Amino acid sequence: MSTEANAWEESGPASSWISRCAGTMSFLLTCWKVNLAAAMEYRMSFFLMAGMMFINNFMWLFFWSLFFGRFQVVNGWELNDVMMLWAVTAGGFGWSNMLFGNFTRIAPIVSSGQLDVYLSQPKPVLLHVLASRMSLTAVGDFVFGLVVYALAGNHSLTGLLLFLLGLLISGTLFIGVITLAGCLAFFIGNADGLAQQMFNSFVALSSYPSDIFKGMAKTLLFTLIPAGMISYIPIGLLRGIEYDFAWKAAAATLVFGMAAMLAFKLGLKRYASGNAITLRG
Amino acid sequence: MRTPRRLFGYRNASLAAGGSKAGAVARITIRQQMAYKTDFIMRASFLLMILYVFVQLWSAAYDGDHARIINGYTLKQIIWYLVFTEAITMGVPALCGIIENEVKSGDIAVRLIRPLSYVGYHYAAYLAEAVFRFFVHLAVGSAIAWLCVGPPTFGMGWAGLFSLTFGAITVAFVLNMIVALCAFWVEETRGMEFVLHKLQFTVGGMLLPLDLMPEPLRRICVWLPFQAMLYFPARTAVNIDAAPIAEQFAIQAVWILLLGALVMWMYKRGVSRLHVNGG
Repeated sequence: MSTEANAWEESGPASSWISRCAGTMSFLLTCWKVNLAAAMEYRMSFFLMAGMMFINNFMWLFFWSLFFGRFQVVNGWELNDVMMLWAVTAGGFGWSNMLFGNFTRIAPIVSSGQLDVYLSQPKPVLLHVLASRMSLTAVGDFVFGLVVYALAGNHSLTGLLLFLLGLLISGTLFIGVITLAGCLAFFIGNADGLAQQMFNSFVALSSYPSDIFKGMAKTLLFTLIPAGMISYIPIGLLRGIEYDFAWKAAAATLVFGMAAMLAFKLGLKRYASGNAITLRG
Repeated sequence: MRTPRRLFGYRNASLAAGGSKAGAVARITIRQQMAYKTDFIMRASFLLMILYVFVQLWSAAYDGDHARIINGYTLKQIIWYLVFTEAITMGVPALCGIIENEVKSGDIAVRLIRPLSYVGYHYAAYLAEAVFRFFVHLAVGSAIAWLCVGPPTFGMGWAGLFSLTFGAITVAFVLNMIVALCAFWVEETRGMEFVLHKLQFTVGGMLLPLDLMPEPLRRICVWLPFQAMLYFPARTAVNIDAAPIAEQFAIQAVWILLLGALVMWMYKRGVSRLHVNGG
């Protein structure tokens, strides 16, 4: 104990913060490595699930190609924009679900008392929960996003950087909004159905061109249910940067991320452990 | 010695007994469905959201022009078409998951010793659940379509919808059953179910009527069973004058017979190689 105190005095708070960050990063890397190893244990199932998700997304693009075959431009959107919308949405959803795959399962984890196992370990609880699972289908989503970018995206350096920024915004927004919905379980008990519903709706809304919505619906999509911040990326970021949209999207990502962390922290204070004995697989 | 009259008597009695068992299975299934009200509300709210998105999408495609006709469809007809296809799609139960779990867990042993055909049992339960859910989703979908594009003034189209929906649900059953029975040979059928659903979404005409598809694709779709599941009832409902009703009934019947025969063949082959431990 005294050694630790001396080290603190000698190195100062900045150095301690850096070493904590490095520790957390190394912990995250270990989580991801273990998750990948677990997925690879059932290799056939892994490739099958990822492949099916790829086909699923491809079928949606097939629908859109038929739709735009009939109507070339819909409220300023063309087939290429919708392809990039799917690249950003599927790609963002893919990386977030690969690295932080439990963000879609916060509500059942809380309501079934499975948080106990995370609370007993000396790591940031929310981060630990999120990184403890890797979605197999998400790999298909992520690869799909990259393939569609390769087919329809802007391959210049600026285009690539903007696409990566789009992926970052969409993935982080997915994590923030859906974690926030999952945190309802702390406050209203069994919120599995409601959280699942919010998840489905958010994902569905973010995969349609934002400009088909008007009035109140459009306002909601850019504020309370920020699916519009994802679905407008092909126009507001990839076609050409609209700075007004870009900073609002970045701010929304930050606000929803912080809100999710705050809701989880407040929720933990209300969390009452059950007597379920759980182990991490 | 049995006389033909006694033989027919046995046959009629056997059919009546089978019918009464199937009726009992259907009643129990509907009671089970009534018990999960929250699940229904969740599904209904998702349907409302999806249909709202479709209304926005198609209104944008039609530039909000309710009088414009594209390949025989006005905006109102398209929206109601989508209500009908969504009601049928969301009405169809997840048969593959049920049968896969029965085979994996060994629960199938309990079903096989019952004095009721295994496929028949699932058809009765499936039909009851599908019809019940179809009407619930139809009511929910109708509410939003009515509000957005006006009342469904389709006259005899409604009769066409209801009569073809029975065949559509049966075609969906045999298609799903073929995939589900693969559980006798392979461990995981979800992937194949996934592909089946996507085929229904696209070449089945769930999201886009076949009339709006390019001609070469439409020609291919005509030879597939998926159109009999969604396109036939929905198109007939919104545009009964253009629908060859007798031909559609005949196509549904042919697919049900062909695919039904395949189901029975697969079931006989599959069940003969089944080894159940537990259950």
